[in-house]
Amino acid sequence: MVTVTIDGKKIQVEEGTTILQAAKKLDISIPTLCYHPLIEPYAACRVCLVEVSVRGRKDLITSCNNKVQDGMEVETASPRVLRSRRLNVEMLLARAPAAEPVQRLAREMGIDKPRFPIKDPNEKCILCGLCVRACEQVVGACAISFIDRGTERKVMPPFGEPSEACIGCTACAHFCPTGAITYEDKYGRQVIHSELYLGPSTAIRVPIRQAVPMVPFIDESACIHFKTGKCQLCVKVCDRQAVNHEMKEEEVEVEVGSIILATGFKPFDARRIPAYGYGRLPNVITALEFEHLVNASGPTGGKILLASGEEPKSVGIVHCVGSRDENYNEYCSRVCCMYSLKFAHLIKEKTEADIYDFYIDMRCFGKGYEEFYHRLLEEGTKFIRGRVSEITDLAVTKEEEGKLIIRVEDTLLGVVRRIPVDMVILATGLEPSVDHNQLAKTFNISCSQDTFFLERHPKLAPVSTFSDGIFLAGCCQAPRDIPDTVAQAGGAAAEALALADKASFSLEPVTAEIDENLCSGCQICVGLCPFTAITFDREKEISVINDALCKGCGTCVAACPSGAAQQKHFRDRQIMAEIEGLLLV
Amino acid sequence: MAEAKEKLYRTHLMVCAGTGCVSNHAFEIKEALEKEIKRQGLENEVKVVTTGCNGFCERGPLLVVQPGNIFYQTLSVKDVPLLVEEHLLKGRPVKKFMYQPPEEKTPVPVLSEINFFKKQVLVALRNRGLIDPEKIEDYIARDGYKALVKALTQMTPEEIIQEITVSGLRGRGGAGFPTGLKWQLVRNSPSPNGEKYLVCNGDEGDPGAFMDRSILEADPHSVIEGMLIGAKAIGATQGFIYVRNEYPLAVKRIYIALDRARSLGLLGHDILGTGFDFDIRVVRGAGAFVCGEETALLASIEGRLGEPRPRPPYPAEKGLWGKPTCINNVETWANVPVIIDRGGKWFASIGTPTSKGTKVFSLVGKINNTGLVEVPMGITLREIIYDIGGGIPGGKKFKAVQTGGPSGGCIPAEKIDLPIDYESLTEAGSMMGSGGMVVMDEDTCMVDVARYFLSFTQDESCGKCTPCREGTKAMLDILTRITEGKGTEEDLVLLEELAQTVKEASLCGLGKTAPNPVLTTLRYFRDEYITHIRDKKCPAHVCRQLNVYTIDPQICLEKGHGCDVCRRNCASEAITGAKGESHKIDQAKCIKCGVCFDVCNFGAVRVE
Repeated sequence: MVTVTIDGKKIQVEEGTTILQAAKKLDISIPTLCYHPLIEPYAACRVCLVEVSVRGRKDLITSCNNKVQDGMEVETASPRVLRSRRLNVEMLLARAPAAEPVQRLAREMGIDKPRFPIKDPNEKCILCGLCVRACEQVVGACAISFIDRGTERKVMPPFGEPSEACIGCTACAHFCPTGAITYEDKYGRQVIHSELYLGPSTAIRVPIRQAVPMVPFIDESACIHFKTGKCQLCVKVCDRQAVNHEMKEEEVEVEVGSIILATGFKPFDARRIPAYGYGRLPNVITALEFEHLVNASGPTGGKILLASGEEPKSVGIVHCVGSRDENYNEYCSRVCCMYSLKFAHLIKEKTEADIYDFYIDMRCFGKGYEEFYHRLLEEGTKFIRGRVSEITDLAVTKEEEGKLIIRVEDTLLGVVRRIPVDMVILATGLEPSVDHNQLAKTFNISCSQDTFFLERHPKLAPVSTFSDGIFLAGCCQAPRDIPDTVAQAGGAAAEALALADKASFSLEPVTAEIDENLCSGCQICVGLCPFTAITFDREKEISVINDALCKGCGTCVAACPSGAAQQKHFRDRQIMAEIEGLLLV
Repeated sequence: MAEAKEKLYRTHLMVCAGTGCVSNHAFEIKEALEKEIKRQGLENEVKVVTTGCNGFCERGPLLVVQPGNIFYQTLSVKDVPLLVEEHLLKGRPVKKFMYQPPEEKTPVPVLSEINFFKKQVLVALRNRGLIDPEKIEDYIARDGYKALVKALTQMTPEEIIQEITVSGLRGRGGAGFPTGLKWQLVRNSPSPNGEKYLVCNGDEGDPGAFMDRSILEADPHSVIEGMLIGAKAIGATQGFIYVRNEYPLAVKRIYIALDRARSLGLLGHDILGTGFDFDIRVVRGAGAFVCGEETALLASIEGRLGEPRPRPPYPAEKGLWGKPTCINNVETWANVPVIIDRGGKWFASIGTPTSKGTKVFSLVGKINNTGLVEVPMGITLREIIYDIGGGIPGGKKFKAVQTGGPSGGCIPAEKIDLPIDYESLTEAGSMMGSGGMVVMDEDTCMVDVARYFLSFTQDESCGKCTPCREGTKAMLDILTRITEGKGTEEDLVLLEELAQTVKEASLCGLGKTAPNPVLTTLRYFRDEYITHIRDKKCPAHVCRQLNVYTIDPQICLEKGHGCDVCRRNCASEAITGAKGESHKIDQAKCIKCGVCFDVCNFGAVRVE
């Protein structure tokens, strides 16, 4: 620890602390321009000058990079300091009159107009080098640097050409204190509504607002560290030292008695229906995006706004997007009608907008649901029965200009209508999760025609599968809402517990067995067994059946060329005897 | 060493092949000499040797005949036959080619008796004019590498540092940091993997300074030997010589010297069988003045942008690639072998209590004997300017001397008896710098001098820190205004404020010293500034925008008979008058270019 005196106040700080940091601890503010706490000090702007006296010698030094020494006396506002600082700011103001931080400092110092000639009134760059240093130290790309000398100095990529080293991370623009660096999207991609609200995806984010648990994760594809090996600013700023870039996906083997699959769903990708314009039309958003938007902790603080930032005057809600559709999924996603009604209610509550709800059939299947529908009818939501064929921004009439036009056949009126709205919410359906098929293979369970996991029996065993000890809960089995999922999950848990609680376990009596003397070791049965009950004994060179896994389906029996595989209670001899008995009678 | 068995000659002709003499056809003279010697059948008796810079550049091309130390000057190719016949064949030194002091009647034949050389004490330049810089044998014959042998075989690193500390040697690059202390710091600095570096700063950029260039051209081995001794002292295994690419001859001779040293086992692995490894790489500078600043130089060697960084950490702690690095200037390294050879005490016996040894200066400007001089510390300016430099040409009055290049200041005539050392020069507002010495006479405008040096620093400022980048530009703008007669008294106040801030607030030495020419001229020649501002006049008639050119009709007609030369040369057609008549200048049209004044052979054009 060293003791320093700053403006007459004494403080003890750790060795290696800079004067600026020590002053901050004393609540003494020293202006800075080229300093950034996450980047190594550069000492170029010379605005943070202070006067120090060490062993009787008084010097002006920069506080951002110079470390405190024991017994050092620092003056942050001596006449000498103020004169130099003021002149520096004045010179910077002449250089970069449009730089906001310089303007602010100049105002504080009472500088109206610099005494030096202004070259470019729109200049913002103060040559603080934060962009160059960020690109080198933080990003590790080294795509930009200074060129030229003296007053001609400027920041440039090599030869002033777009640099191959640039990874497009925009860190330079983020670190620029004056907004002198701007960037544009060169790939002609249009900013869509969702991106505008949610921001370009940052490398560290939470999956959704109100996610449980609310834990951020690092997206490797967006993280600079995984591109250049540098950055790690998150590590620096995290006081809890919770960030770890070395973490890797790992496989953990756990021995369990039973497994409950609750792998959920993925929302239907609305881009698959080009006629609806999602991803192209800024104000066409999906249900999940609307949920983000309307959330109180969301990007707009819960306000329902258009991409332009205005409140919509009319909103259309389109049901059955990707559901009940021969082209995509034939099944009903079950939850969309009710959440759409909720959306209509929320929009009514928060805005003055007219709401159009385009449905095929209104499926209000649960307790209190039908009543909610009636309430919305009373609230004035306009329900139009019919499938939306197209959403477009091509206006035909004057009223349609600047609006989204929903084309729909109103089946109740028997006419095709064009309805102009400001915002369209697509009630996207539910689909099995991304790795659904892989999961089915891993757990040796079947999928029904709609590609969701197949239960053993729709009524008698709705949470069980054909594999013993594996149970289903939630949307992996079929689309369902939260109450249903909770109920089913309770059932699955009870089944799993019942299995675990048993001291003994009764097996199916009808299983296959292999006659050791007859088995030729051809292994045909091993590949055929749907329950992976057969293994090959390499020592004896015969196939062996695990009684606990065998379901007695008889596939191996039928396939065995040597007749070694036999079904208990249904041996050839027994069946022949039965046939003989029948014939005798 | 095959060349050791070289033939012996009775006479050696030492032709100066420093850059100054080379541009005055020294090589042609050498060829002519060889041809003439052959013609006279003396080729087995006389040998022509090209040496490094002799120092007396004013009188080039130079030739010294050894033995005898006979000094010939301002030679040309057509003088060669006479010289060879008279001196070499008939043994009669040729008086007409000898140096003739202006105030004396008889020429001085012997080099060591010429005033220019008499007062010089040669330490760093000990081999000047005596060896062929491209022959390591010549250097070795002059006790070269003797100090290295001593350092490697008889001395511990601590003893070497002790010897340097005792000598009181201080950095010759300008700031004068004690070399022994610097070496000790580098030696004591821990290096993560044991690597330490050694750098020779040969990025000499001051206008009018050529000390380092001359040493590298004339005696590259002295620098290499110095670096080898330094390497042993601090424990470095790799050295760098950073030299300006604008010094092609120096670069070439360094490469030759390094090759020769390597081939003799004086560089590389297991030097002289002592198990000591050290090698030197040459890095050529791209011409930025700021790269003479040590941190910028190191950045440049690393391949990064040549801009300075804040110190601390000093290079002694964190230099090249973060390793402890010892960086010294060319002249400092050249002093090291002598100190080790003859002892620190001997070196310390030369000079003043705080500044020991000698210093090389390049004497330029309004002085009779332009050239390179090495003088003991503590010598007065008067001795340098009048005794060695031979005074001011044309009997003009001495006005000031600028030391330390653009970073230094102007010392006025009243301080001519100032003994030169680091402290006294700093006291006077100037600095030792690397050793440039520009002499100015009464025809020099001090405002213009300040403007000139500032235009140099402003142009060479890297632009990293605000005060240096913006401040030097603002100061230059003001000075330009003043020299154009547009200055105001407020400008002078602002100029002083700027100079003070740039000096105090800049990041590196370049900015911290850039205002020195302004501050010293303001201190010693303030009245000149005032005259420029108030009376809109330049007393020395240098600032042309302030001059009023008129033609004296009488002289024009009587002496020049209206020769019309001025009218024909006037770019702005401001002069009227036909041939045979007296001419007149239309002040409204005159752009004050001064051409008429320059072309008038009769002194009819007057400047006020």
